[in-house]
Amino acid sequence: MGIRIKILSGFLILSLMLLIAGSWSIYELKSIGSSVQRILDENYQSIRAAKVMKEALEREDSAVLLLMLGHWREGRRLLSSADSLFTQKINFAFENISIEGEHEHLEEISSRYAVYKNKWERPIVDTYKEENMDWYFKEMHNSFLHVKQSINELITLNDNTMYLTASKLENRSSRAIMPGIIALISALVFTFLFNYLVNYYYVTPIITITDRVNKFINKRTPFNVAIETDDEIAELADAIDHLCQSVNVEEKQS
Amino acid sequence: MRFHVVVRYVALALLANAFFMTISCSISLIYSDAAFMPLLYSALVTLLFGLFPLIFVPPATRITNKEGLLIVVLSWFLSCLAGSLPYILYGGPFTFTNAWFESVSGFTTTGSTILTDIEAIPMGLLFWRASTHWIGGIGIIIFVLSVLPFLGMAEVVLFRSEISSMVKENFHHRARKAIQILAGVYLGLTLLETIALIFCGMDLFDAVTHSFATIATGGFSTKNLSIAHYQSPLIESVVIVFMVLSGIHFALLYAVVTGSVCDFWRSSVVKYYLISMGAAISIIALNIHWHGPFDWLASIRMAAFNLISIGTSTGFATTDTAVWPSLSKLLLIFFALQCACAGSTSGGIKADRIVIMIKSFYRHMQNLKYPNAVIPIRIDGNVVRPDLVLKSILYVCIYIVIVFIATILLVALGVDVVSAFSGAVATMGNVGPGLGTVGSVGNFSAIPDPGKWIFTITMILGRLEIFAFFIFFTPSQWSKNVTY
Repeated sequence: MGIRIKILSGFLILSLMLLIAGSWSIYELKSIGSSVQRILDENYQSIRAAKVMKEALEREDSAVLLLMLGHWREGRRLLSSADSLFTQKINFAFENISIEGEHEHLEEISSRYAVYKNKWERPIVDTYKEENMDWYFKEMHNSFLHVKQSINELITLNDNTMYLTASKLENRSSRAIMPGIIALISALVFTFLFNYLVNYYYVTPIITITDRVNKFINKRTPFNVAIETDDEIAELADAIDHLCQSVNVEEKQS
Repeated sequence: MRFHVVVRYVALALLANAFFMTISCSISLIYSDAAFMPLLYSALVTLLFGLFPLIFVPPATRITNKEGLLIVVLSWFLSCLAGSLPYILYGGPFTFTNAWFESVSGFTTTGSTILTDIEAIPMGLLFWRASTHWIGGIGIIIFVLSVLPFLGMAEVVLFRSEISSMVKENFHHRARKAIQILAGVYLGLTLLETIALIFCGMDLFDAVTHSFATIATGGFSTKNLSIAHYQSPLIESVVIVFMVLSGIHFALLYAVVTGSVCDFWRSSVVKYYLISMGAAISIIALNIHWHGPFDWLASIRMAAFNLISIGTSTGFATTDTAVWPSLSKLLLIFFALQCACAGSTSGGIKADRIVIMIKSFYRHMQNLKYPNAVIPIRIDGNVVRPDLVLKSILYVCIYIVIVFIATILLVALGVDVVSAFSGAVATMGNVGPGLGTVGSVGNFSAIPDPGKWIFTITMILGRLEIFAFFIFFTPSQWSKNVTY
């Protein structure tokens, strides 16, 4: 194998090592980026929707209290807007299911909300329910708490998933860094090895050849240089050896 | 010292590692697991480091003993380092210390682990873990030599530098033939066990990885409960048979295959190895039957599997031996120190040295009666050279001293004395599990990082049989004036 190929192979290996490490790091970093985006898109949006549902539910509870106090107009207006907000957000949540178990939680919220809604949809003002705190605490408030509990469970599920995904990101970030670190250390070791081999197989023989040629010129010391490799350096040494022998023959003849 | 020649042969060891990393990478690809990229990058880096010196350095047919020793020690160190790359790149439970520990434990066929949930690790990485056992079991250099064409005198020097000093004495074959026998028996046993385990109901992946771990007397399992996971007497029986076979001198197994069965039964070391284990199994079975809720059959089954596993330095488990009565635990410690025969893949002091020590003790008693008598020590009719007797006794003494030094250091680091001592014995003998927190159902994850480094040193010391390791780290040995 020629010197050019040998030296080129050294640089190619070095480049290949760095190229793969770089590509892998970029891939991992891009994955981290998309994972962060996924957390924002899926979990964070779901958590926000659940919080709005909770807020709407609390408004509905206030509206029910207004109805119990006989404020029919304000109560109905507040109930209508809160109900539409709740429905809008639960539909949004149903369309953005991304976690295992999320669908079951939403189904539960939906059914419990139906029970709760069924209680305030019927007239309260001018009925026995008006100012009936016993009815409120026994019927309404319990239904309200059931729905709220289901929403809280949905928030917890999303929170936990978000935490798990974030924890995995830590591992991925180390995976993105590690190839770079290993490539750097490997490149350093490789450079030393490359330098040692180039020095041993090319620099040292060239110095020896130069030295022997000088000795031949000055003292006619026989040019005996042993080259371990089978490449251009060996050919050069052979050629110089032939040249020296020719010079010796010519000198003897003259 | 020709450093470039050393580099060339060490590179061959790295190529062997790269080859198995590539196979592990393919397995990772088949199972589409998360270890694919870590294995691929590790394989590429190791391959490039292995290939590059071969491009530059022409083959050398002659190497000195000093170069041979350096090649062997460096091959082990660099293989362990390259072997830790897939773990480091995978991350998860593998910090640098943990990755180094797992890799050294694999290559030295110790089988101790830092993993708390093995089944959570991707298949590709589990295969690599088992492969480190298989490469290290026969010896990295022997492994490389067995797949290369004859390298002339270099092969003889490398072979003698790699194998145990005890094996040199009782391997009466030329280097090439000896390597062929070792590799042939190793491969044959692995294939036979894989087939037997598949017949017993294991899937192909588990059968191959468990065969790698058994024949190399390693002990890495792909299951959290080790062999206990399968709850199969048939699988346990197959593993017992192959653990016992892997603890016997491979030349004797070869002799049996080639028809010289008498050689096998005439060997006093094999007789001692089998009889001592049989006796210990009986005592442990009686002991655990009397102290525990187990019936006779269960006691014998547990005693046989776990004693043979420890006594051959394999380290598989079917029960928590840490809860056994003290007598049984002491017997386990004794067998973790002794282990099996030289010329096998087993670690520890080795039964051969124990036989020499017993015979030496007997000779000393005779000399007290007849002070002027010249009584040679004979094993199977051959006289054991006095320097070998001295070397064996010295080896055992230094071995015990190192175990105690490691124990003291570990206790100083806050490890409890049972875990520290049994851990030191288990890692020095390349056994795997000890007692206490590092017992058969425990792991080494709770050991502080400096403690893990101490354990890796004892693993390498045990694998390289102490002296090669100390020569490597003695600066005066590398002086130009020292030749051997």
